[in-house]
Amino acid sequence: MQDIGLAISKFIFRKVSLMLALLLSIAGCSSQSTEEVRAIQIYQDWELEPGDAIAGHPVLGGLGDISIELKGDSVYAPFDGRVQPNVKGCVIFSTPQIPAYLFRLCGLKRPTLGQVSQGEAIGSGRYLQFAALRRQPDGRWALVEPAIDILERTLEKP
Amino acid sequence: MKHHNSEWSTLKPLLAGGLMFALVGLLIDVRGMVPAENSSRSESEVCQGSVRSEVELSREQLAQLLTVPERDTKARVRDILKEPYCQLPSLEVRAGVAAEREAYPLEFDPQTWLVILYEGDEYAGYRFSHQ
Repeated sequence: MQDIGLAISKFIFRKVSLMLALLLSIAGCSSQSTEEVRAIQIYQDWELEPGDAIAGHPVLGGLGDISIELKGDSVYAPFDGRVQPNVKGCVIFSTPQIPAYLFRLCGLKRPTLGQVSQGEAIGSGRYLQFAALRRQPDGRWALVEPAIDILERTLEKP
Repeated sequence: MKHHNSEWSTLKPLLAGGLMFALVGLLIDVRGMVPAENSSRSESEVCQGSVRSEVELSREQLAQLLTVPERDTKARVRDILKEPYCQLPSLEVRAGVAAEREAYPLEFDPQTWLVILYEGDEYAGYRFSHQ
């Protein structure tokens, strides 16, 4: 009788473990949602850009990026918006509240993809390469100097 | 009997540990499923100054706006859209350039606002914002 009880316990334990593993996998994958890659054409035609590599080392930033030492701190959504993957190591943040602009953030580890609320953490890392991109009439995106206000919104915990 | 009890006593901490691990994992990741505290209406989307509640953007006005290229003048856009429903808080996106934002609810979908961005006297672009 006790053998049957033990067998049932083991069976339940295995099933529960399997379910929990499945749940954790789903939960773990939820932040890496199925956001489509946001490919953008940069107005400035420079030879080296984030996503490139030199001698096997990835290029994290280029001309036009603001480099900020995060020391592991988080960065936050400056507005309600959407985070989409871009080239390797970079994400694009867009918001309906600021037409004609995109922000490119490179260097974040495991960024949160998809819809985000203003002030929500979207990732952390050692360094952040931040670029503000303004839409041009021909559909390309020009790197422009971001205002300090936007950077503060991105870096300060609300 | 003793053997079975010892197996069960070995299983119990494993089961408890597994449950704790799962709960911690779920609690950590649940942040992505719960809206942030300030997600109902962010500060930057709240009208400032006077609100013209009668303003709604027609399909014709919208169609006309879509023919206006970015970098055109603010005056040309205003000729089409007229006075906005409200002004959104001004901000600076590009260093040294003040950005003005104006909102127009759509006549055929009032829950959706057309947000227009001007930089100085220049029309910078538009986006739709669902309220």
